Amino acid sequence: MKITVKDAETGSTIDMDVDEDNTIGEVVESSATYWNKDPGAYVIRFGKQQLGGRTSIGGTTIQEGDVVELIPDPTGGR
Amino acid sequence: MGEPALRPGDADRDRYDRSKRFGWFDRDAVRDTAVLVVGAGALGNETCKDLILSGFRNISLVDMDHVVRSNRNRCLFFSDADARQRRDKARVIADKAAAFAADATITPHVERIQDLPGGFIARHDVVLGCLDNIEARLHVNAHAYRHGIPYIDGGTRGLVGKVQVVVPPDTSCLECGMNATHHQVKDVRYSCTGDDVTVFEPKMASDVNTTSIISAVQVQEALKLANGRRERLIENMLYYDGNRNVADVVEVPIAPACPHHDER
Repeated sequence: MKITVKDAETGSTIDMDVDEDNTIGEVVESSATYWNKDPGAYVIRFGKQQLGGRTSIGGTTIQEGDVVELIPDPTGGR
Repeated sequence: MGEPALRPGDADRDRYDRSKRFGWFDRDAVRDTAVLVVGAGALGNETCKDLILSGFRNISLVDMDHVVRSNRNRCLFFSDADARQRRDKARVIADKAAAFAADATITPHVERIQDLPGGFIARHDVVLGCLDNIEARLHVNAHAYRHGIPYIDGGTRGLVGKVQVVVPPDTSCLECGMNATHHQVKDVRYSCTGDDVTVFEPKMASDVNTTSIISAVQVQEALKLANGRRERLIENMLYYDGNRNVADVVEVPIAPACPHHDER
């Protein structure tokens, strides 16, 4: 199915074809690579949920045409 | 004999009068809660200040680093003299926090959290993560979860920040929300020597305002735990964006393959 990934930092979007077996981690890696994101941790947010990397698309409520967001995970603090 | 007679101005002589007016504030419970703060940088400075002012008196503070001058755009307790003398961050905060509350005990541990004995984390009632790296976060997450200790993790990146509240065994943990990008960053940081940063890492923008907001939320959650108000805790993460000054609460589901939840 086709979903849309949105870069929360820039507002850019990209369509992505995913299968139920694909993981959220694969969506993160593919989109971060596509946008050549700075090194760092990123996560996928869908609605009011942050989805873990090991979770498969089939294990979520994501459906055809949905938009998920790629957001930076703030891991600094010093 | 009944209660002592009321005297005019009594309310203003009690340091915690305004806290007690919340109704739920339990001064003794807050004072006696053993708090572990991991990291004495920007978040650690603000967190310790807020903990002390909120009434916490039993604090362990872990950090292996020393003060540098560029810390001073966001770190309340650090001075130029501390930077010149390369003083240990944890010791500086422990020393200077006494000016805020002479009866507080902040015990500094100048080493990596990973190098402290296995049972160290378990000796505390709550852990506040004020860290800047994923390796240490994963260590604290694993040990706190295993011992059933609530872990309140703060993080910032420029003007955005987050607070994740982990209450074992009921909630997801930090690892539940991670993916390969976290592990790539962790591996890069430690791949060369295995014990310290030896590769170039770009300096990250950091300011006191985002830091203050994130650490204040962390201490607010610690206060809820100390006062038995678990039903009010964040479920599971607060995400703050200082660019627009907006905040969202985001659910982090328990990941089916997370090793910490597999153990249950």
